[in-house]
Amino acid sequence: MTEEVKTDGQRSSAFVVSPQKRKMQKLAKNAGETLLLGIASFVAIIVLFIFFFVAVDAIPYFQLRGFTEFFTSTGWYPADEPGEFGALAIIYGSAMVTFGSALLAVPMGIAAAVCLSDILPFSVRQYAKPVIEMLAAIPSVAFGFFALVILAPLLQSNGGPLLMWTWWILAAPFLLLAVIVAADLLSARFAQEENRKKMALLLQSLFGLLAVLVLYVVGTKLNAIEIITGTNALNVSIILSFMALPTIVSVAEDALQSVGRELREGSYALGATRAETLLKTVLPAASSGILAAVILGIMRALGETMVVWMASGNSSHIPDPWYNYLDAVRTLTATIAGDMGEADQVTGSERYHVLFAMGLLLLVISFFSNLVSERIVVRQRKILSGQ
Amino acid sequence: MTAEHKESAVEAQATATRDIYIPSERASVSGGGRPHVVAKDFSIYYGDFQAVKKVNADILSQYVTAIIGPSGCGKSTFLRAINRMNDLIPSCHTTGMLQFDGEDVYGKLTDEVLLRKKIGMVFQKPNPFPKSIFDNIAYGPRLHGMTDRKQLQAIVEKSLRKAALWDEVSDRLDRNALGLSGGQQQRLCVARTLAVEPEILLLDEPTSALDPKATAKIEDLIQELRGSYTIMIVTHNMQQASRVSDYTMFFYEGELVEYAETAQLFTNPKDRMTEDYITGRFS
Amino acid sequence: MNLGTRKILDNSFTAVGMGSIVVMALALLVVLTPIVYNGVGSVFFTGTIEHRTMLYKEFGRGDAKAIETQTATADRYRAEAYRMLSDFEQEMEGMSLEASRQYRSKYAPVRAAMSSLLGPLPGDPVPMLTRFQYGQTRWEKAEEKLHNILYEKKWDYSDPTVMAKAFDVPRAEEFAGTKLAPLFSYAERHLADMMQPQFTVYWGFFTDRSLDAHIFGGIWPEIQGTFFLAIGAMLFAFPLGVIAAVYFTEYAKEGFFTSILRSANSTLAGVPSIVFGLFGLAFFINTMKVSESKSVLAGALTLAIMILPTIIRAAEEAILSVPKTYKEASLGLGSTKWNTIVTVILPAALPGIITGGIISLGRAAGETAPIIFTAAVSVGSAIGIADVFSSPTPALSWNIYNLASEHEMASEIRHVQYGMVLSLVSIVLLLNLSAILLRAKISQKLKG
Repeated sequence: MTEEVKTDGQRSSAFVVSPQKRKMQKLAKNAGETLLLGIASFVAIIVLFIFFFVAVDAIPYFQLRGFTEFFTSTGWYPADEPGEFGALAIIYGSAMVTFGSALLAVPMGIAAAVCLSDILPFSVRQYAKPVIEMLAAIPSVAFGFFALVILAPLLQSNGGPLLMWTWWILAAPFLLLAVIVAADLLSARFAQEENRKKMALLLQSLFGLLAVLVLYVVGTKLNAIEIITGTNALNVSIILSFMALPTIVSVAEDALQSVGRELREGSYALGATRAETLLKTVLPAASSGILAAVILGIMRALGETMVVWMASGNSSHIPDPWYNYLDAVRTLTATIAGDMGEADQVTGSERYHVLFAMGLLLLVISFFSNLVSERIVVRQRKILSGQ
Repeated sequence: MTAEHKESAVEAQATATRDIYIPSERASVSGGGRPHVVAKDFSIYYGDFQAVKKVNADILSQYVTAIIGPSGCGKSTFLRAINRMNDLIPSCHTTGMLQFDGEDVYGKLTDEVLLRKKIGMVFQKPNPFPKSIFDNIAYGPRLHGMTDRKQLQAIVEKSLRKAALWDEVSDRLDRNALGLSGGQQQRLCVARTLAVEPEILLLDEPTSALDPKATAKIEDLIQELRGSYTIMIVTHNMQQASRVSDYTMFFYEGELVEYAETAQLFTNPKDRMTEDYITGRFS
Repeated sequence: MNLGTRKILDNSFTAVGMGSIVVMALALLVVLTPIVYNGVGSVFFTGTIEHRTMLYKEFGRGDAKAIETQTATADRYRAEAYRMLSDFEQEMEGMSLEASRQYRSKYAPVRAAMSSLLGPLPGDPVPMLTRFQYGQTRWEKAEEKLHNILYEKKWDYSDPTVMAKAFDVPRAEEFAGTKLAPLFSYAERHLADMMQPQFTVYWGFFTDRSLDAHIFGGIWPEIQGTFFLAIGAMLFAFPLGVIAAVYFTEYAKEGFFTSILRSANSTLAGVPSIVFGLFGLAFFINTMKVSESKSVLAGALTLAIMILPTIIRAAEEAILSVPKTYKEASLGLGSTKWNTIVTVILPAALPGIITGGIISLGRAAGETAPIIFTAAVSVGSAIGIADVFSSPTPALSWNIYNLASEHEMASEIRHVQYGMVLSLVSIVLLLNLSAILLRAKISQKLKG
């Protein structure tokens, strides 16, 4: 009995510790958590540092030359004495290739995301996803090399026929579809019930002829184009679009997935086809998430350096006419990459600072795009979860 | 605490006026029957919601106490409060007093880590670590500073034997524990808990994820362990409660409605609510 | 709209979606196929005797006897060609001044092309640059040079409205009647005899130093530099990222401060890579002065910052996917929170964390823009491990750009560029592939 009591006595206080020890435990816990917090805050500190250090080297440029020249002049002669630092053409070049790549990547990306989330069976999706991941993983310099060594000579030697065939392959199915839909709609509006089929057939052949004509005329026009230089905005836009695609697809797919099944079932139950369900119900519900995907994809294209540096032609002028994608352009990122080599020997020169000014511009744009897309995603999540 | 203290504590509790029936000491377990866990006006809140309401009860050592009641009645919450697993939920806080061996579980000087070492817990779903069987059992002893391989082996064997699992796994201790069947996994979890030498075993619906055969084995195991450990088991299954336990608590909407010897509670419930529940009028 | 049209629209919609995915797969194929095909050609190719001689002289590799006999054979056939050249040179001495001048200007390119094909001609001084000390080392290049010997490229400017078109004029006609005339048919017939082509497997491409700015030799300095930079970046970013992820998932209390930290993370993820380069230059080199100028250390630090958000996100996801029951079990056994994290949660999350790490490693290896100003040099030899704190290094990504865009003989060394691109793409894709496989394995395990 006594022995048991003894062990009992030890037991009873086994989980109660002295105040000093408890205090030490608390102290150690707080110290540990503070340390962890410090490490976790490292990222925030880095972001502040990036803004600070890029701005510190950018501000001297604006102090010396003001904002007017940078944003309004197209004269970029940094090596002259005194230099001219008009970045308008360069900003325009960046905008141009970004817009061009978005034009290609956004519709394709959204279509692919819809396909991945709603159309493909799971077994196929398993193989489609790694393809997209691999596309995202290929280093930008490899894309740049492809653009410079393979695509550019191809565009230069066979640009016209290439454009013509692309036009035919892409436009023919869409025109055919347009013909069918237009004939259907018009015949429904104007003809009586009994004549509708005849009317539709008539309209179809009429529109069909028109479509063939359009295909042919535009095709021959394109065929006649001679591309002076293969390193141009079109080349870069094509490559950039494939680099932006994986981002758009994966973010947009997430947005589509987060739209509940009930919404889809509701639409199907009303007799909608899959396309109608997706276009009229699911896509609108996921629209803000898709917008975020588009913003992130565009940022990927805008921030890309190697492809544009290698394959855009690096000519700082606004193309003539302004929408001419077959002309060489120069972008912000390529200018920073290309000119720093000459500028950084003379650290502190205007040429050095103007490149940081460009970096600051990119940084600010990316910061706000990120902020906006993040807000959008958060808001959509809230709406969809019904808060 | 001396023997006198202990006796006086028992007396004090026996004479205290409570609206809850305090079961008397049974002779069937020698040395048992001491109030091991004592709740006094013990409430648990999730934020503003009172999940457990002013519970007063003594849990007797060495006996098996079952907690029954409909879903959401606070029985699991009460069980998890005993070894402070509810600390993981930020909004959870308690009022009143909960004592273990006469010391305040929620006291300022309580080291919840040492507390949990004394009060082991087995969960609803078998949750072995994705490690080998040996490492699963040795996890606790290693945590508390044991490194000697021989000693560890001894503890692993002892715990597995106690959990009636040794014969089934002795030849594959280095295999991944996730390869065991559900019932074996749950017994492994019991063994893992026993390896840290707790005084109390909390079983939170330990058989709800198991088939009838595996359930029977766990129930046998509880019978085996009875007398060596204070056992508390939350269960949905009233037959199980009546089979394995000496005492039964019935919770309803956060209140401890009735607490009695199992045989009495199931045959002659004092409270109307209890009767309705055990006869299946609601669940 | 009638139902038929709606069905057609529905199907076309499906087709557009499928089409986009097919286009992506095709794009991947179109980009990778030439890279793989031509990249393999940097190791497996038909090499000439010049390649074997070069390897023997510069790297001390190869079968000396075989090279000697082959060189003797090749020299026999070359001697005939050299004889024709010198005969013609003598013939020109005896011509009228006018004729001699005319022939001389036409003869110069022939002589240059011969020298480019066969190496320094007899009587020429030994050139300074290694690139001129040997003839063509690859058979397809030799055939190209032969074409330059046989034909003169001229431009057709007859139609001023379109771009001029190139056409070939056989030189044999221009030298008809001279002693040089037989050279052209002789060279065409005996090219193989003069060059001794032989199927070659040049594994040294991956392990040799480069000679004369990559005209000959391998790409070891670049491969090594890429590994140094990527692994260096991981050394900094991986521990930091995992600890930060532990904080975010296990300790952070939701609130204003935490949301700021999370925002910072996604902001960092969106910063254009070239801006990281600027920051690395301005902060690590010009402000912190971690090194005198560019160095592997500065580059690795810059890359580390770039990959940090990816690692944090992957680690967070991996930690969150660890079943909560593990944590409960461990705490229930009387383990402290930190102990639980280290002994249960992190081991269970490890495959997921490593997957994220591998992908980030690939990204660090493939990025160019951040290292342009901080770590990369165009031409250099492999550096020792002790030099990483002070010296810059060549790296695959940077030298692909450099060789393709800025090398003075860029179009002559396409095979080296392709070899580099293939090496880089292989490193990155293999890393990604292993990550994908690892993830598939994890999801299988979780399914049970």
